[in-house]
Amino acid sequence: MITNTYKKQTKRSPTMGNELPKAATGILGLDEVLNGGIPVGRTTLVSGGPGTGKSVLGLELLYRAAVAGQPVIYVTFEERPEAVRQNALTLGWDTKPLERSGKFFLMEARVDPESVLSGAFNLKGLMAIIDGKAKAMGASLIVIDALDVLLRLFSDPAKERNELYALHDWLLDHSMTAILTVKLSKTGNVSSRYEFLDFMADCVMILDQRVVEQITTRRIRVIKYRGSDFARNEYPFVIGRNGIEIIPVSTFGLQHQALGKKVSSGHKRLDTVLDGGYRRASCVLITGPAGTGKTTIACTFVRAACQRGEKTLYVNFEESQEAMLSGMLSPGIDLRPYMQNGKLQILTAMPESMGAEEHLIRLIRAVKTFKSDYIVVDAISSCRRMGTEQDAFEFIMRLVNACKEQGVTVFLINQATGFTEEQEISGVGISSMVDTVIALRYIDIGGEVNRMMLVMKARGSKHSNQYREFLITDNGIDVVDVYVGEGGVLTGAARQEQEVKETTERLLKQQEIERKEKELAQMRATIEVESARQQEALLTAELEVEQLKLERDILANGQNKRGIMRGEDADSERLQSASARPKPKAARQRGGGK
Amino acid sequence: MSKVAKKAKSKEIKAEGKKYILRLFIAGDEPNSKQARENLEKLCETHLKGHYKVEIVDVLEDFKAALENDILLTPALLVVAPEPATIFGNLSEKEKVLAALGLTGGEV
Repeated sequence: MITNTYKKQTKRSPTMGNELPKAATGILGLDEVLNGGIPVGRTTLVSGGPGTGKSVLGLELLYRAAVAGQPVIYVTFEERPEAVRQNALTLGWDTKPLERSGKFFLMEARVDPESVLSGAFNLKGLMAIIDGKAKAMGASLIVIDALDVLLRLFSDPAKERNELYALHDWLLDHSMTAILTVKLSKTGNVSSRYEFLDFMADCVMILDQRVVEQITTRRIRVIKYRGSDFARNEYPFVIGRNGIEIIPVSTFGLQHQALGKKVSSGHKRLDTVLDGGYRRASCVLITGPAGTGKTTIACTFVRAACQRGEKTLYVNFEESQEAMLSGMLSPGIDLRPYMQNGKLQILTAMPESMGAEEHLIRLIRAVKTFKSDYIVVDAISSCRRMGTEQDAFEFIMRLVNACKEQGVTVFLINQATGFTEEQEISGVGISSMVDTVIALRYIDIGGEVNRMMLVMKARGSKHSNQYREFLITDNGIDVVDVYVGEGGVLTGAARQEQEVKETTERLLKQQEIERKEKELAQMRATIEVESARQQEALLTAELEVEQLKLERDILANGQNKRGIMRGEDADSERLQSASARPKPKAARQRGGGK
Repeated sequence: MSKVAKKAKSKEIKAEGKKYILRLFIAGDEPNSKQARENLEKLCETHLKGHYKVEIVDVLEDFKAALENDILLTPALLVVAPEPATIFGNLSEKEKVLAALGLTGGEV
C-alpha cells in the first residue's frame, strides 16, 4: 500500500522527477532539517512529551501556510478554540482574520467526557467533518493535534490501531498533507502502544524538552523520512516571540565566506602587530585574566568601526550597558555618541536568564535585524552559566558559524581565570574556529605587575609572535615593543631600568673606544717622531762617514803629488800598497779628477 | 438479582408520559452503523413505544450536523430530549443505553 501511494505521489508531480514533493513549513530551520519540508499528500507524525511544542509546531505551520493563501484545518482534541487562538496570538499570529476569510478552520474535536460508550464505533464522523470542510474550503493541509486523547477512547489497542490506520488511509486517499501530533509519556521514548504510528507515518519527528542544570532546552529530531534524506541529528530549538526557530548545526560550516580584507583595529601600533589589522569575516578571540584590557581592546575597535560608519552589536553578559559605557570613559573611549547615531547596539543579558538556544537565536536575530558588521561577545566564559560546558561550546560554535556565514566579524572575549593562563587560551575549547588570538596576561617583574600582549594565531596573515607590552592609558590602549634580553622579556620599570643600564653601558664603551683611539694616535705620533729622529741620526752618521772619506782622499791625493814631485818609483812600497786597494785608488782617481 | 428477573424487570420499563427525541448519526452503511440502527429500533420498540421520535443523520451526507453536534465518532446516538446525552457506539450494550436514557430505575 505504501508503495502504491508513493507511485501515486510521484505521478502527481512529474516535474519533480524522483524527488518527493515537499511542502515548506516556513518554520525557521525546520525545512533545512527536513531537506525541503514535509511530504505533500502524506502523513507526518510529531510526537513528544507534554509541553514540548508539538501544538505550536502544528499551529505555526498552518498559520504560515494560511497567510500565504493556502486554506488549512486545525483539529484539536485537547484545547478550546479560544485557548488556541490566544496561544497563537501570543506568538503574533492572529488567526481571526484568516478564519473569517475561510483560510483557517479551527475545529474543537472534543468528546464530551460525560458521553456514554456502548459498543463498537469508529472515526467516520471525524473524517466526514474533515472531508466536508476540506472540500468546502479547498484545503489539503491539516493538523490533527493531540490524537492520543481521542485514541484513549478505544479500550482495545488493536481497535485503536485499526482506527488510526483507517484514518491514515483516508488522509492518503484524500491527498491530505497531514500532521498528527501525539503526546508521549514523560519518559520520552515511543511507547510500544504507538510504535505502529512511526511505521505508518512517512515522516516522524520527536520533540523533547529537558531541564539540565535549571535550564530548559528543547530539541527536535527527525527519526524517519520515507523516500527522502534528512538531517539526522538532534537539534535544539526555541519557541521565541515569532514561533519556533531551529538552528541546524551540521548544515553550517560549509558556507563560510572567505576571510575578508584587513580592517584597522583602531590603534596604529596594534595594526602593525596584526600585520594591518583584523580580517573581515574572521573570528578574533581576546583572552586574558580580569582587568588585562580585553574589553578596552574590543571597544577601541568598536569606536573605530563606528567612526567608519559600520555597525557593531555588543553583547555583554558581564555588566550593564551603563556600567560598560562609563567604564570605557576612563581609557578615553566614549561610545555614547555611537549609541545615539545607531551605529552601536549593546545587548545585555544574564547568561542564566534563558537557555543557550534562546540566547543564540536572540543574537542571530539581532545581528540580522540590526544588519551588524561586527559582533562582540563579552565574555564567552560567562556562557557556561547558560547550562553545561557543552551548551556553552555549542552556543559559541553556532554563533560563530552563523556570523561567519553572513560575513560578520566576531570578537569573542574570554576571561581566563588563572594568572598564568596559556592552557585556557582556547576558552571553552573553541580554538579551532578562531582565526586570531590576542592573549593578554600579567607579568610580575621587579615588584610590579604589567600587561603583556601576544598575537598567537592569525590565520591568513603574518603577525608578530613577540610579546609586547600592552598599556592602558587615559588615551586608550598602546602597544610597546618589549625588551628582549638574556633575562627574557622585560616590561615597565624593570624595562626602563634595564634600558638605562644599557644606555650607560653603551656610553661607557663609547668613551673607552675614544680613549683607546686617542692612545693609538699618540702612539702613532710618538713612533713617527722617533723614526724621524732615528733617520736623522742615520743621515748624520752617513754624512760623517762621507766627511771622513773625503778627508782621507784629500790626504792621499796630497801625498801622491808630493811623491811625483820627489820622483818616487812605481814599485815603491807606498805605491804597491796603494794599488792593492782598488777603492782608495778609485777614490784617488776621483779625487784626482777634481 | 437473577438474570431472568432482571430481564423481566427491564421489559417492564416504559417511558411514561415523556417524549424522547433521538438523533442517530451513522456513516453510510458500514457495519457498526447498520447495527446501531437495528439495535436502536429494537430498543425503541421495546421501551419507548409511542413516546419517541428518531431522526437518522448520515454524516457522509451531512457533515455540518456532525460538526455542530461534535459527532466525531460514529455511530452516535444523540438524545435531544428529555435529558440531553450522547452515546457513542453501535448500542450493543443495552444497559448502558437505557441508563443514558434514564430508564434503568437507578440501576446501571
